[in-house]
Amino acid sequence: MKKIILAAVTMLLLFSCKEQPKSWQLSQMLEIEGVNPIGITHRSDGIWLSDGDHHRIVRIDANGDITETIDSLDRPMHIATNGDELLIPQYGNDEVLRWKENVVKVIGISDSLDAPAGIWREGEETVIADFYNHRILYSKDGVDWNSFGTEGKENGQFNYPTDVQLLGDEIWVADAYNNRIQVFDKSGNFLRKIGEAEKMNASTGIYVSKEQLFVTDFENNRVLVYDHEGVLQQELSENIEKPTDMILVDGKLYIANYKNNRVNIYDWKEDLNPKKSNKE
Amino acid sequence: MKYIIINVLAFLFVSTVSFAQEGRDQYEIQVDGLGCPFCAYGLEKKFKEFDGIKDVAIEIETGDFSFTLPSEANLSMEAVEAQVVKAGYTPITTKITRADGAVESSETTTMIADNATLSDAKILVAGKCEMCKARIEKAAKGVPGVATAVWKVEANMLNVSYDAENVTAETIEKAVAGVGHDTKNVKALAATYENLPACCKYERLEQ
Repeated sequence: MKKIILAAVTMLLLFSCKEQPKSWQLSQMLEIEGVNPIGITHRSDGIWLSDGDHHRIVRIDANGDITETIDSLDRPMHIATNGDELLIPQYGNDEVLRWKENVVKVIGISDSLDAPAGIWREGEETVIADFYNHRILYSKDGVDWNSFGTEGKENGQFNYPTDVQLLGDEIWVADAYNNRIQVFDKSGNFLRKIGEAEKMNASTGIYVSKEQLFVTDFENNRVLVYDHEGVLQQELSENIEKPTDMILVDGKLYIANYKNNRVNIYDWKEDLNPKKSNKE
Repeated sequence: MKYIIINVLAFLFVSTVSFAQEGRDQYEIQVDGLGCPFCAYGLEKKFKEFDGIKDVAIEIETGDFSFTLPSEANLSMEAVEAQVVKAGYTPITTKITRADGAVESSETTTMIADNATLSDAKILVAGKCEMCKARIEKAAKGVPGVATAVWKVEANMLNVSYDAENVTAETIEKAVAGVGHDTKNVKALAATYENLPACCKYERLEQ
């Protein structure tokens, strides 16, 4: 009898100690008064948001208060950083700026852009989403550029690309109005596509971490989380309104909402109600 | 004729409008296909080609787009609408308020006799956003004999009030399907559906 009780207690302990699956869980919402964020990025001095409606980018503190503003821009969109440099694609005047300590450089591209919507740069390696030209521009050295993509629905074609990111040997593209993500090698060869099963309505923003892909589904007011092969892991929709961009900072996920003037912050932690928030 | 139904294209009627600015013409266009900031800013970008454009305002959810130009530009309604098409979008209605107070409008007005007996109907119409709403309501109101048409996005339901002696619910459904939206009894042509803006692509209905 003692052995049976001991075994039962052991089983109970083992069961209670079993690690629960983790997921992204909303922990905080920052009210950003007067800002309709489209892009979000992080520099050593804090979180930066692009505010296309008001022709500016702003830096916010931990309370969501604006602490610095760079204004007189022309519809800045999906901004990024490269070290201490802010990268600002200006949709309205087709210029992409490198901004550092009030020193501004314009990225020179002989083949003219038409509404640059997103940029990513690591060292000299740079990639740009060229919205109205339905193409991606890639440069290994920031000087010579290659482009790939044409307007269309086939693999390797785009219907208004809005965001882009480099990760390892791959280029990830938010193919916004084909409602999918496409992945390419650095020669522009199509590798795979993600998200068609979820029937997104304008996949306008992406962020790719080492393990996960985050996609904004703008019209459906949700952010979808996939693994790198496209397996859906989680759908975030609570308090999300017209999401536009995401970033991971110190293990926290930040989601910019265009409509409700908010940045939502999520923690990666054990899921107490996995059926409710996970798609797995 | 007992029921007088007049479709008027109200070009060049004059009224006093308070917001007309001195020396500037005010343009108000409802545009089909604006779904996100990328579309809205894109439309604005294409209109920058007009010298002296100011007071640009875009309401993304409703597609309301407005701006002013110096009156000497004297931009015609056709030129404005052509520029919207050039930007990749479709003008639904256009209104120009000239600096002298004259108003030009492309909006179609349907008049129904005072003694007409109106019937009400609720029609299931598929759609998914405010742009769908503008398109569906415009199509329904464009049918002679329709007095009011209000579509609710959450319910996908079109509430219409119409003169049953001159129009049927089926006619209204056909008009709505004609602009790309499936109704309970009429399916939109595949080609028309495919031409809807990406943000308006709803789940097709089974008839």
